[in-house]
Amino acid sequence: MTQPPDEGSAGAGADASDRASDRALEAALADKTALLHEVDHRVKNNLQLIASLILLQSRRTADETARMALKTVLERVTAVATVHRRLFQGDPLRFDVADFVRDLAGDLAAAAGRDDLTIALELDPVAIPASAAAPFALVVNELLGNSLKHAFPAGRSGRIRVALSNGGERCRLTISDDGIGRQGQPAGFGSTIVQLLCQQLHAELEISDAQPGVLAVVTVPMSLPATPLRTTP
Amino acid sequence: MTAHPLDVLIVEDEALLAEELSFLVREAGLRDVGHAMSSAEAVDLACKLTPDLALVDVHLKDGPTGIDAARLIVEDCGAVVLFMTANVKRLPDDFAGACGVIGKPYSEHAVKTALAYLEICLREGHAPGPPPLGLALAPRFRELWGGGLAETG
Repeated sequence: MTQPPDEGSAGAGADASDRASDRALEAALADKTALLHEVDHRVKNNLQLIASLILLQSRRTADETARMALKTVLERVTAVATVHRRLFQGDPLRFDVADFVRDLAGDLAAAAGRDDLTIALELDPVAIPASAAAPFALVVNELLGNSLKHAFPAGRSGRIRVALSNGGERCRLTISDDGIGRQGQPAGFGSTIVQLLCQQLHAELEISDAQPGVLAVVTVPMSLPATPLRTTP
Repeated sequence: MTAHPLDVLIVEDEALLAEELSFLVREAGLRDVGHAMSSAEAVDLACKLTPDLALVDVHLKDGPTGIDAARLIVEDCGAVVLFMTANVKRLPDDFAGACGVIGKPYSEHAVKTALAYLEICLREGHAPGPPPLGLALAPRFRELWGGGLAETG
């Protein structure tokens, strides 16, 4: 109305329809954002539900072997759940590995209930694609869990070191302990998980005897060749 | 400084989560005094049972009403509220008067250590140190309980 009449008559109609379509776009975007939050919320709640189901089942299980199996499953689910709690906190496409490892190490150490073991964390800030977060988390869970469960029989104290370094193109995760070593232990399902997921992540895996203890090194590309939002090829 | 266990009210609309949380509360040495699934039920029980601590989800049976329920529980029923939610970002800056939040999905360990920490804060009026991983304190409670931080690092 305050515009000069010669510009106004042609421009006003176009402006009004621009504004209307802007509003429609904003509304559509707001709907999508709300939907995304709803999905994120449901994923987190459902992971919590799965964890609760496993815990409740394990509380009713008298058989020690069965209870240990449920505990192992719970640890794996918890590792994935921890990833989801941490996703979308900053950049939605990147996942901060150092914070995650700190979180997971606390959970695993508490689950092991061993005050005589020290976990030393030397973590550089490293971010990997969000799509690699869950498989990477499971690899860390297995390797660190292995050291906590098998390297130190009751009565033997020791130290586990978890280091994460940023090599530009690739990041390097080192998990080592000064425990009893592998001693010809048969490879279990945990090793299968680690091998399969390292293949999926295009990661190099090297496990060696450190005398004393075991040294595991995983080298992971910081960007994946696959499309960033897909988890499986 | 009484030695009786702290009374805890669980406000959670997922029955299985509430059931498991009840185990964790009791394993942490606290007393589970009741469960509520909706905001009205939560405020009603909180005022009737006068728990020391209420664990409150943001999303309840009647919608995202946990925040308003928390405010009423704090102001009208005098309990300390801890949010346990997958909606951490939805919380207002003042946490609706709650002392803090544990984000879902939480681990068994995170809940147990948070409860042990809060028990000390509630009994002694100051924190034994920085909050454990997984527990974020509201600004007002960081100030209120922060006394212990200087001594313990």
